Amino acid sequence: MGSCNPVTGGAGRCTICGAPPVIRMREPDRHLCAAHLIEDVEGRALRTISERELVKPHDRIAVAFSGGKDSTALLVILSRLLPSWDGVSLVAITVDEGIAGYRDDTIRAAEGVTKKLGIEHVCVSFADLIGENLDTLLAGRETQACSVCGILRRKALSVAAHQAGATKIATGHNLDDEAQSVLMNTLRGDLPRLVRTSDADSLDCFIPRIKPLADIAEKEIAAYLFVQDLFPFLPECPYTRYALRREVRSMLSSLEQKHPGTMRNLIRSKRAIEKQVDRREISESLRRCRQCGDPCSGELCQVCMLRKSLGK
Amino acid sequence: MKIIFPDSTTETIEGEPVSVGWILHLRGINPSEVIVSRNGKLVPEDVVAGGDDEIRIIRIAHGG
Ligand SMILES: [Zn+2]
Ligand SMILES: [Zn+2]
Repeated sequence: MGSCNPVTGGAGRCTICGAPPVIRMREPDRHLCAAHLIEDVEGRALRTISERELVKPHDRIAVAFSGGKDSTALLVILSRLLPSWDGVSLVAITVDEGIAGYRDDTIRAAEGVTKKLGIEHVCVSFADLIGENLDTLLAGRETQACSVCGILRRKALSVAAHQAGATKIATGHNLDDEAQSVLMNTLRGDLPRLVRTSDADSLDCFIPRIKPLADIAEKEIAAYLFVQDLFPFLPECPYTRYALRREVRSMLSSLEQKHPGTMRNLIRSKRAIEKQVDRREISESLRRCRQCGDPCSGELCQVCMLRKSLGK
Repeated sequence: MKIIFPDSTTETIEGEPVSVGWILHLRGINPSEVIVSRNGKLVPEDVVAGGDDEIRIIRIAHGG
């Protein structure tokens, strides 16, 4: 492996134009300068959107925008593609979970970005949704942080997207996130979730969810922002230390380093399984939550189940 | 060459120029979890650093 040799540099030049490179990419192996990295990343996002028909004329896209790197890249890319779409509009939605020492900075960063891009911005908080912030909800049960937060964030986002009149919800999930989810669902033996596509995902809110960055690696996203002075230097969420995802992330990135293509192959396996599986057989039919009336698969929706288990 | 780590600690090393990938390798840092700048400009891991170069290693936080 070239990078393990003490001196062998020979990074050379941008494969396309010969300018100094900022990144080395695999599959195919190439070096790109800042301008060509930007072109490459935006081109691949556009390809994902076109191939999967993620955006239709007159869509109103609610962008789940935390102010972190993935959603910042998503918002920048969508705002650049916007003029080429007929009648499409964007609204950025930031969910304030109420995590002390973390969320305040990211919300301030988020506001700076939407102001700069001239995009409408809405903030919603867990406190509005459930009457309490995440820190209070989680006291003594920190290990459940990511699943509790995930359920509530999803709900907050779909409520805000409805209120904003959105027809799509775009999230910043990248290639690494997708590969991690495949492995995590496999490790948990969760077949329904493993084969749940974004269409099925939308059952809980009736607004389809789209992931325009699903083909772009986390590192490419970070580099894309850094070369444009848009990289958010923000802390990691303090709860990630409790998460299985963190272990899976570090394991997968070492594997990817040693065996380039590992993440793509995982996603490819998932797609192959998806094709074989009759989704109706494994996913329970859609019902209504008897507490709040939201669409769900059991008696109670996840939010009401969570409220119950928390005694709220 | 001066190296600035994600936790803001620094280290100055003398001697022959080495590749950025080697610097990461010696410290057990996975290249896919960081981006690296040399004198403020982003560089790939196979770029060589030495002399008065300032290398900054930036951790890519998950999420967002
Ligand atoms: Zn170039
Ligand atoms: Zn409910």
